[in-house]
Amino acid sequence: GAAAPRPWRLFGAMCLLRLPRITQAMEKEEEEVAALMEQIEVEKSQYSDHEIRKMEEEEQLKKMKESLYDEEEVRGKTVIMAQDLEEKWEQKFLRFKAAPRITDADKSNDRTSLNRKLDSNLMLLVRQKIGNQELWLLPQVEWQPGETLRSTAERAMASFLGDHIQAKVLGNAPYGIYKYKFPKAIRTENNVGAKVFFFKAFLQSSDLSQAELKTDYLWVTKKELGDYLKSEYLKKVNHFLLD
Amino acid sequence: LTLCYISSCSSWLPQRAPLRGSHWQSSLLEVRTSLPVRAQPKKKKKVDVKKEQAQKERMKKRLRKLEKAAPELIPIEDFITPLKYSESNRVRNLPPLSPEETERRVLLLKKWCLFKQKQDEAEKKAIKALVESQQEALKELRLESEELYQAALQRDEGLFPFERDGPSYTPPLPGYDPPEGKCIDITKVYTQ
Repeated sequence: GAAAPRPWRLFGAMCLLRLPRITQAMEKEEEEVAALMEQIEVEKSQYSDHEIRKMEEEEQLKKMKESLYDEEEVRGKTVIMAQDLEEKWEQKFLRFKAAPRITDADKSNDRTSLNRKLDSNLMLLVRQKIGNQELWLLPQVEWQPGETLRSTAERAMASFLGDHIQAKVLGNAPYGIYKYKFPKAIRTENNVGAKVFFFKAFLQSSDLSQAELKTDYLWVTKKELGDYLKSEYLKKVNHFLLD
Repeated sequence: LTLCYISSCSSWLPQRAPLRGSHWQSSLLEVRTSLPVRAQPKKKKKVDVKKEQAQKERMKKRLRKLEKAAPELIPIEDFITPLKYSESNRVRNLPPLSPEETERRVLLLKKWCLFKQKQDEAEKKAIKALVESQQEALKELRLESEELYQAALQRDEGLFPFERDGPSYTPPLPGYDPPEGKCIDITKVYTQ
């Protein structure tokens, strides 16, 4: 039979998250307690083989300095002292340069880069036309009969990032909803407003060079969402976002 | 071997000699009194078989008893301190803690207690908000379409097991060539 007229239009939106790549910085209390725990561990421990060797060699050195005849005995052997070993290891460690935690994208505040804010979640915002306004939103498309809302959200993600995007959608149920009524000018009995259902997914491929982004896009943290999203929409989105 | 064959002669009539049952009979009138010789080996086999079976059962019983006995516990290597670490020269000699230091530690641990409590409360609050948001979304969805609602309630089979590499302290260095090395596993394996 004929489909019943729906007063509310349904949309599926995808909140795509790039998960953190580095650990967050420790808070002051965490650092203090970590230092305390290390201290207690050292106090409760016993000497290791390396430390005993170091202590014995120090004593030998002292004896050698005080008495002269021991030196002649030892000169024959080539002795690697524990202290020398430690210095060697320290040098090797200093020669290694790790990748920086604050990247170039951080310094230039390039918000289109995925290489920014490596210690937080980044989510995708795209520029979309709703009615006659251009807004920053989580990617959304209208639901079509015959598909589940999760498929709608996946289609939204694919339409902006291409089919080859690898993302793990977290379940079949929506995480949040944003309901709004159309402006009175276009509102009718059968076209009251729209319900946007949000789904969450974790980005799995770190390389998006294959993706052909068709519109303007941004990757932003939860705190930066306020710069782009309207207040009511932002409130609903913040409900299902963990820091 | 055939059984004896007695010719029933009610009267002695001059006849041809009656047929012997078999050539083992030396005289015609002899009746086989003993059972066929087969019986003797049969007896031996029965007794042997019985003895063998009894032996097998005894072995099985012994095996079962051994198996039932509690198996020897596998020693946990981590819980056994090697003797060389109980020597006295191993003990660290440190000055005792000053009262200021103990005071500082106690106060720091109290601060930590409070910090962790606040962290835990914040986590619980966030999870509660997440659940509420989802419930609201499902409620609205149900108002729209029962079919979509049921589809949303379905369990996502492909979600678990979910694997992910955790964050490290520094991001991966592009083009880094780690030094080669071989790992030789020397853990002792115990069998029951």
